[in-house]
Amino acid sequence: MKDVIKGNNLKKKYKGFQLDVPELHIPKGFATALIGENGAGKTTLINMLTGIRMDYKGELFYFDEQEQDVDKVKERIGYTGPGNYFLPHWNVKQVEEISSLLFETFDEEKFWDICVELGVTTERHVNGKKVNDLSDGNKVKLMLAAVLARKTDCLILDEPASPLDPLMRDKLCEIIREYLTEGNGEKSVLFSTHNISDMENVTDYAIIVEHGNVVEEGFVEDLKEKYVLVKGEAKDAKAAEKILYSFSGNAYGFEGICLAADLDKLAGMDIQVEVPTLFQISVAVMKANSTLKLH
Amino acid sequence: MKILQNSGVPIYQQIAEQLKEEILSGKLKQGEYLPSIRGLAKDLKISVITTMKAYEQLAEEGLVTAAQGKGFYVNAQDSEMLKEQHLRKVESALLEAIAAAKIAGMQEQELVETLKTLIAMSEDA
Repeated sequence: MKDVIKGNNLKKKYKGFQLDVPELHIPKGFATALIGENGAGKTTLINMLTGIRMDYKGELFYFDEQEQDVDKVKERIGYTGPGNYFLPHWNVKQVEEISSLLFETFDEEKFWDICVELGVTTERHVNGKKVNDLSDGNKVKLMLAAVLARKTDCLILDEPASPLDPLMRDKLCEIIREYLTEGNGEKSVLFSTHNISDMENVTDYAIIVEHGNVVEEGFVEDLKEKYVLVKGEAKDAKAAEKILYSFSGNAYGFEGICLAADLDKLAGMDIQVEVPTLFQISVAVMKANSTLKLH
Repeated sequence: MKILQNSGVPIYQQIAEQLKEEILSGKLKQGEYLPSIRGLAKDLKISVITTMKAYEQLAEEGLVTAAQGKGFYVNAQDSEMLKEQHLRKVESALLEAIAAAKIAGMQEQELVETLKTLIAMSEDA
């Protein structure tokens, strides 16, 4: 399996927080989701990968370790951030002009096509609103338009779904799938998200981060075999609670996630087993590793 | 192709089953290529890895072969195996019917008569 981005011994220390990722692999040709609580280190990691943050320890390699030239790496990666990185007083037209100065492959016509398609502006080549006057959702769409108008080989999207309405989230999934299809194994996407359910059908690989460490990762289909969703009767709840990763019980029964390898330990209980969703797996893994006690 | 999100059957299995049916029924012919993994994922609005797993399962069952860089093509289907596959399907459907008949309290004779009637009806149609 080739890596679009590979990292070794990535470390970053803040007061009371340390990001420590001995090995990072973002598989080439797939969509990878970065999942984790607020403050887990998702944005710190993304900022390291995109070169926004340079004050860290460790090594990063891009595009099968083939691309060494930093400028070329930046040209080949498209990034959208949380909030917005355009100056607040620019209007849409100015965003177009500046993007086309900054990036060689920026295609003005494509930019306007996407702006109109996503509803950032009603027409092509108009001044449009000032960035500051756009809604949070439209700010994300504007960044997406500027990024998708370029020829890139990797998209890194920090929380793209959060400010978007359900229709646009669906559209975002479509955009990611189209990007992967167009690349036919050569293009990759990395995005961080709290909206796991909305993004599940476009997630190939998942990396779950908790207080600065990768606590679980893998191809989603493999994770769905590694973990199982268990449902059982109230009488077995006490015994099951010790074995399950995440557990919720009431007077009628219980349910929770456990490792498929641990199913033996539940032998003799009257249980039913289902394939969990990525959301259920993520919540279970996060709960097991969280310092918050939300049970 | 129809994909059910909440049927309890994993999505990759649903895809594999439906493609398998097309292969065994001869709709997808020997040597024909399956749709590209990413193209099918896009059309079905599912993730790439799910489609990939479906194709890998078909390859494991010997129905298709992966060609480096070109995708998956349909293998020549052994007619004996094909017959066997269909036979197994008939058996499991009949077993289901027998179980249902038991619950309904149907006698053996009644069940056989029903089957005969149904055969006659489908022949007429």
